[in-house]
Amino acid sequence: MKKKQKFIALGLAAVMAFAAAGCGNQAPEAPQTEDAQTAPEATADVQTEAEAPEAEAQTETAGSETGAAAENDGSYEACTLTISWWGGDARHEATLAAIDAFKEKYPGIEVEATYGAWSGWEDSMATMFATQTAPDINQVNWNWLEAYSADGSAFLDLNQVSDVFDLSQYEQSALEQCVVAGELQAVPVSMTGRIFYWNKSTFDKAGIETPKTLEELMAAGETFKNTLGDDFYPLSLGEYDRMILMVYYLESVYGKAWVENGELQYTAEEIQKGLEFIQSLEDAHVTPSIQTITGDGAESLDKNPKWMNGTYAGIFEWDSSASKFSASLEEGQEFVVGDYLPDMGDYQGGYSKVSLGFAISETCEHPKEAAMLLNFLLNEDEGTTIMASERGIPLSKAALANCQAQGLLNETVAEANGKVLAWVDYPLDPKFEAAALKSSDGVYYDVMAGLSYQDYSVEEAAEILIDGINEELSK
Amino acid sequence: MGKKKFLKRNVGFLFILPWLVGFLVFKLYPFAASLYYSFTDYQLFEGITKYTMENYVDIFTTPKIVRALKVTFQYSFMTVPLKLVAALFIAYILNFKIKGVNFFRTAYYIPSILGGSVAIAVLWKAIFKDDGLLNTLLGFFGVNGPSWLSDPSYALFVICLLRVWQFGSAMVIFLAALKGVPEELYEAASIEGAGKWKQFFSITVPLITPIIFYNLVTQICQAFQEFNGPYIITQGGPRNSTTLISLLIYNSAFKNYEMGMASAMAWVLFIILMVFTVIAFLSQKYWVYYSDEEGR
Repeated sequence: MKKKQKFIALGLAAVMAFAAAGCGNQAPEAPQTEDAQTAPEATADVQTEAEAPEAEAQTETAGSETGAAAENDGSYEACTLTISWWGGDARHEATLAAIDAFKEKYPGIEVEATYGAWSGWEDSMATMFATQTAPDINQVNWNWLEAYSADGSAFLDLNQVSDVFDLSQYEQSALEQCVVAGELQAVPVSMTGRIFYWNKSTFDKAGIETPKTLEELMAAGETFKNTLGDDFYPLSLGEYDRMILMVYYLESVYGKAWVENGELQYTAEEIQKGLEFIQSLEDAHVTPSIQTITGDGAESLDKNPKWMNGTYAGIFEWDSSASKFSASLEEGQEFVVGDYLPDMGDYQGGYSKVSLGFAISETCEHPKEAAMLLNFLLNEDEGTTIMASERGIPLSKAALANCQAQGLLNETVAEANGKVLAWVDYPLDPKFEAAALKSSDGVYYDVMAGLSYQDYSVEEAAEILIDGINEELSK
Repeated sequence: MGKKKFLKRNVGFLFILPWLVGFLVFKLYPFAASLYYSFTDYQLFEGITKYTMENYVDIFTTPKIVRALKVTFQYSFMTVPLKLVAALFIAYILNFKIKGVNFFRTAYYIPSILGGSVAIAVLWKAIFKDDGLLNTLLGFFGVNGPSWLSDPSYALFVICLLRVWQFGSAMVIFLAALKGVPEELYEAASIEGAGKWKQFFSITVPLITPIIFYNLVTQICQAFQEFNGPYIITQGGPRNSTTLISLLIYNSAFKNYEMGMASAMAWVLFIILMVFTVIAFLSQKYWVYYSDEEGR
């Protein structure tokens, strides 16, 4: 009896130990919240490689190019690398296929992937960076470098692996955007900026051209209302969209960056003018109120039936998001890239920024092999052929040349990216995207929703915005 | 003490070792650590730079947090009574010998299993969005329904309803209690001419007051800690009208990385819950009947 008791007790303890071990390597959760970022969004929760959809076509292509008989020539160490990214299904499939090709080329290097939708992704990753439990290689947002590694403690200085990772493929100006605390903490994958996209079919129905000027856009609101009905709007803007558009507008009018040298460059009166501009879009029936958009009950604009069926006929979005919004339209709707509105002001307002990058964790035990994987994914023909423009138009010269030669770039994304980079002119301070400002309970949302719900006057909204930004800048 | 004797005396600890380790690591340590952090300015990526009482002062002077506390009280005071009444009412009906009773018991319990999942968020949005199922139904009767999800006056109601809808677990506990009420009491009351309502309020309710008390305490605790509903359906909006304190704690900790402030808010929530629980326990002697004691 006693032996039996001891046996059961030991058994239970063993079960616990196994259970605890099993808890040790789980993927982060991905709660459902709205994306307010550059990520091409997806629907799937976090998946592990075993659960991932197969991407046979990409894998086969990679396999045939890299050859299946490769062997470890002793120039690298056999190891297991971990990598994480967020994105949509297409990005997952392409990246997994590229990783398969890498594993085939470098036998002995195993790669474990953790990936999922943007929603909730940053919350999980932030915790990992803080606890130094992040994967070896991470897709990072540009502002993460400043937010999570201001002292360089989270990410490896990529100059240390420049003998493996070919940094010469990148313009120095692009690399400098990822230098924080004097270290190159990530490699920028692509640049992005906001631009207008229109549903041309709805504009055709309204009997007007897609807007080329601010005047035409303002007039379109009334035309939509009169010809199509109260529910139809030429442009849909959420809270964060409004904030970015306001900055574009103010930079166009006043010809100065939003934040420079850690200081907000605009006075309360100037910001009030920007907020009045945003409010005028609502007043002129150009954009629905925040209450109307919230009442649609959609998780995000690309999943909003009113965008899908053309009731909302325009967006102001990241160039890299073009395919997502285009794909969500119902059949028969024509999606076109818009132009910047030259009569917004005397200057070419707006900014581009590093869309996203890849960073190697400081805790990575095999930085050389991690750099090899990154180089394969971002610079080498075998990898970039599979990755194509899944993370925007590549900044890597070799990747761009390869994709252009093979016609792999998404035409709409390329068109939008070309327009963005040709137009925008101002720098962006990384703290513009600080969580305290741009998260759904941050200052931008509070100000823009408060203005739309008429909880705040323009003066109050400007004051709250300035206080919030200055508080963040002072940190 | 001999080795054998020592083992004999302490073998029980081996049995509960899995729970004990879990409790120490995942409950007691975070519990104590959060108390410590609540008196610091701990920022996730900057660490602790000072020890302070400011967090507790800020909780009662920051409009956003005060509003979240107020909304949490509103939410709890609405959902707890409604959920208890709904659970007891349905349990009472399902206690009768009616055809297909097992099916109905299962059906009413299912919402408790589904909980605050993403699928339920989608369902709730489909029902309550401006052109959703509810407003479409209201439209048939010529009623122009409000903006349930986007009007700050109505959004909290939508979140409350989600919780009340999940009355299954409380219902099952009530059902078990109702089964324990002696049949002969009802027979005697019937002979005396008592109707169903009289029997319910004079026999059923007094005899199940310990279970009502249990459900009351657990529901208060759950309601004050509610997170899933507002997180998945409204994200605290519109205009913070559904930002409950637990959601604010989450945002503070994992979006703004203010661990010190989040810990302080968690402790304020804990104290609020303690106060309500103590009040509930103290009130027992006035309304809870334990049959194994000397009356009340």
